[in-house]
Amino acid sequence: MPSYTLTINATKRTVSADSDTPLLWILRDNLGLTGTKYGCGKGICGTCTVHYNGNAVRSCALPITSVLEGNIVTIEGLSEKENHSVQQAWMELDVPQCGYCQSGQIMAAVDLLSKNENPTDKDINAAMQGMLCRCGTYSRIRKAIHLAANKRNK
Amino acid sequence: MKSTLDRRTFVKLTASASGALIAGVYLQSCGSEMVPATIHEFSPLIKIDTDGWVTLIAKNPEIGQGIKTALPMIMAEELGADWDKVKVVQGDFDEAYEEQWAGGSYAIVLNWDLMRTAAAKVRHVLLQAASKKMSKKVSELSTIKGKVLHSKSGEALPFETLLLEASKLPLPETVEFKPTDSFEIVGKNTPQVDLGQLVNGETKFSIDVKLPGMVYATVLKNPVFEGGVGEYDDTEARMVNGVIDIVELDNTAYGGRLLGPNSPNFVNGIAVLANSTWSAFKGAGKLDVVWDTSGSRKENTDGIFERFNLQLTSTAIERKDGDIHRARKTEASNFEAVYQVPFLAHIPMEPMNCTVDFRADLCEVWAPTQNPKALQEGLIKLFGLKPEQIKIHLPRVGGAFGRRYYVDYAMDTAILSKKIGKPVKLTWTREEDIQHDWYRPASIQKMVASLDESGMVTGWQHILANASRKTCLGREGRPAGTEIDEYEFPAGFVPDLQFEYGHVMSDVPLGQWRAVGLSATVFAIHSFLSELAILNKMDPIDYFLKFLGPARMVPVVGDDEFDAGRLIEVVQKVRHNSNWDIPLPKGKGRGFAATKLSGSFVAEVVTVSVDENENVTILRVDAVVDCGIVVNLSGAKAQVEGGILEGLSAALYGEVTVKNGAAEQSNFHDYRWIRMDEAPEIHVEFIANNLPPRGLGEPPLPPAAPALANAIFAASGKRIRKLPILSTK
Repeated sequence: MPSYTLTINATKRTVSADSDTPLLWILRDNLGLTGTKYGCGKGICGTCTVHYNGNAVRSCALPITSVLEGNIVTIEGLSEKENHSVQQAWMELDVPQCGYCQSGQIMAAVDLLSKNENPTDKDINAAMQGMLCRCGTYSRIRKAIHLAANKRNK
Repeated sequence: MKSTLDRRTFVKLTASASGALIAGVYLQSCGSEMVPATIHEFSPLIKIDTDGWVTLIAKNPEIGQGIKTALPMIMAEELGADWDKVKVVQGDFDEAYEEQWAGGSYAIVLNWDLMRTAAAKVRHVLLQAASKKMSKKVSELSTIKGKVLHSKSGEALPFETLLLEASKLPLPETVEFKPTDSFEIVGKNTPQVDLGQLVNGETKFSIDVKLPGMVYATVLKNPVFEGGVGEYDDTEARMVNGVIDIVELDNTAYGGRLLGPNSPNFVNGIAVLANSTWSAFKGAGKLDVVWDTSGSRKENTDGIFERFNLQLTSTAIERKDGDIHRARKTEASNFEAVYQVPFLAHIPMEPMNCTVDFRADLCEVWAPTQNPKALQEGLIKLFGLKPEQIKIHLPRVGGAFGRRYYVDYAMDTAILSKKIGKPVKLTWTREEDIQHDWYRPASIQKMVASLDESGMVTGWQHILANASRKTCLGREGRPAGTEIDEYEFPAGFVPDLQFEYGHVMSDVPLGQWRAVGLSATVFAIHSFLSELAILNKMDPIDYFLKFLGPARMVPVVGDDEFDAGRLIEVVQKVRHNSNWDIPLPKGKGRGFAATKLSGSFVAEVVTVSVDENENVTILRVDAVVDCGIVVNLSGAKAQVEGGILEGLSAALYGEVTVKNGAAEQSNFHDYRWIRMDEAPEIHVEFIANNLPPRGLGEPPLPPAAPALANAIFAASGKRIRKLPILSTK
C-alpha cells in the first residue's frame, strides 16, 4: 500500500492506504479522528463535512490523493476547547438532538461565516441545504448561526 | 414502594496517583494535588463523593431524545443535588436498572417514580445523618443544591460531610416525594449533559468504537426480502487490498426468525471482513452474486395497495359501539373518503452498526440500540449464552426512530465475531440501511361518517387494511394485533362507531416507526374531520370543538378515560397562538390537527403558501402540548420540533416503494427528507400543570401530516388523500 502525508489540524500525518480511499475513512479508521461521521458515502448528506484549504468539503467523496497539497481541518481541530464562536452558539442554544450530524453542520456553518459574516436566513438556507439533520434541529441551527455571527461581530 | 435498586456498597478507593478513571469513577482535584475522592455508592444509580460530586447513572439508551439528561435531572431534583456538581455516566445494560429501553414515548412515564424513589431513599439517609449531626428534627430539614438545610436557623451541611454517617444507615422501604411545586431542577431549560463533546467531536457513538485487533466488516444483503444468498463469486472481492475473509450469513443456520414464527426474516447476505471499513465496502462492491429469490412473493407497490384495497371489504371488527348502520338509515347524509399512506424508512443518521468481541467467557457488545434486552435475548437464542456471559454497552445512538428496536445488525455482528474469533465492527452502508429496514406499514384507510342535520357526526366507521407489523407476534396468516386499536380516536366520542381491520400478508419487513400506528391513522382521522367541517361550511377548529363536546372524562376502553378538557385547552391555545382567526391572503392557508398519544395532548396548526405551480412552502408551525410536568424544557421543545419536522418530512417526501420484492430507494437522493431551506420555524408552548409527566417523543408527530394537508387545502383547494404529497412515483 502506498504511503501518503497529509496536513490535518496543522499536524503532518503519514498513512498507508489505497489511493482511492476517501479522506473520511483515513480520518476515522487510520487516524482515529472519529468526530467526522459517515452518513451516506455519496456526498449527499454532509455529515462527513471537513475543511480543505478553508472550504467545506465532503470527506466521503474525496480520495486521499486529492487532498495531499493543502490543509485539512476536522471538528477536532476547530478549536482548543470547544471555544469557537460557532461551537459556543451551538452550546448556548442546545442545538443537537442525537448529535451525529452536528460535526458536519458546525463545519459547514463555520465555512459559511468565513465567507459571509452576517448571513440572512436566506443565505443560511442556501448554504446549509446540503446538510441533512434527521432529528430536525434546523431551526436551532439557523438561530445558532445568527448568534455566532453576532458574537463575532461584537 | 419497593425497588430492586437498593444495592448498596461502600466503595473506598486506594490512592492512585494516575488521576485517571478508576473503574468508571472519576477523581476530583483538591487543592493543587490530585487526591482520590472517597466515593459512596448509595444505589446502583447514585454515588456521592467526598468532594461533593454526585454521580448519577443515566441508564436508558440515549438516542437523541435527551433521556441521558432528563432521567438524571429527576434524580437530582428529588435528591436535592446541585446540578452544577452532578456528573452523569451512561450505564451499561443491567437488569437491575429496570425499564431500560427507548420506545413508545415511555421512558419518562415508566421511570418518573423509579428515579424519584431511588433518589428519595438517598435523601432520606442524608437527612437522618444531618439530623443527628445538627441536633435538629428531620421534619425541619430539607435538601437543596447539594446541602441539607435547616431553614429555620439557616444552618446547612453539604452532602460530603454526611457521607460516612449516611452510608451506615439503611435505605428506607418507602419514601415520600418532594412536592412538585418545590422543584428547582425539573422544568428548567437544561442544556444536555454531553453538549461539549457533541460540538467538539469527542462523543463516541457506537460506530466510533475501536478495539485492539478489531476487524472491520460490512454486509451485502439480498435486496429481495425473504431472499436467500444463492450463488456468488468472491474472487475479485478477495483480491481487494485489506480484505481478510468473506463469510456467508445464512440466518436459518441460527434459528432464523428471531422475532417470531411469522416474521419477515433477517435477510441473508454475504459479509466482507477487512482491515478497514473502506476495504470492506470496496470488497462488497466486487462481489458477483446471483441472489436466490425463490422464497419471495416478488411484490410491487401497486399490487400491495391493490390487495389492501380488496381487503377493505373483508375485515374483522375491532370495535363496535352502537350500530353504524342504524345511523346510516336515519341520518341526513353520509360522507366517505379513502386515504393512503406509504411504507417509510427510518434513516437514522448513524447507519446500522455494531461492535462485538465474542470471547470464550464473555460476549461483549457495543450497540446503537433502543432495546438492549432484545439484544440480550437474541444472543441467548442464537448462541445459547447465559445472561451473565453477555455484556452490552450503550454508547450514544445517532438517531433511532424505532429502527433500533430491532437487533438484526447486532446478531450479524455477533455471528461474525464468533466465527473469526476476533472483535468485529460491522458497518452497514446507507444503501443496506434503507433497503433492509423494518418499514412503517403502508395502509389504506376508508372513513365513513353519518351526519345529522346540523352536520355533526353520529356514526363513524374507520376501516384500515394493510400488512401488519404485528404479524411477527402472531400465527401463520394472522397478526397478534392490528394496525387500528380499539382505543383509537374518536372512540367514546361518537355513539355509533366501528373500527375494522383487513390484514394482508407481505414479505415487506415491518416495524415500529416513531408514533407507530398513529403516524398513519391520525392522518386519515384529522384529514377527514377537516373535510367534514368544510363539507358543512364550518371552520375546522369550530367543527372539531363541537365534535369533542364539553370538557369531561370520556370512557374509552375499560378504565381508560380521555380527558376531553385537556385536548380542548391545547386546541384553543393553538388557535390563539397561530392567529387562526385572522384571514390570510389568497394562496396561503392554515391547517389544524390534534392528537392524544402516550398520555400527552398535542394540537398543531401548519401555515403554508401554495403558488400557481402547486409549489408548497411551509411558513410556520404552531404547537401546543400538554404532557403534564415538563422535565427538561430545552429537551422537551427539541422533541416537539423534531417530531413535527419528521411528520412534515414524511408527509412531503417519505416513501419506500417496492419492485419485484425489493425496496426501490437506496440513499438520500431518492429517499428525500426536509432540508434546512424547507424547515419552518416551529413555535411551541407547553401547558403548565402539575400532572405526572407523560411521553413526548412521539405525540407531536402524527398531527403534522394532516395539519399540512389541511393547510394545503385551505391555500389551494387541493385535497391530499394520499401521502407523500410530493411523490415521485
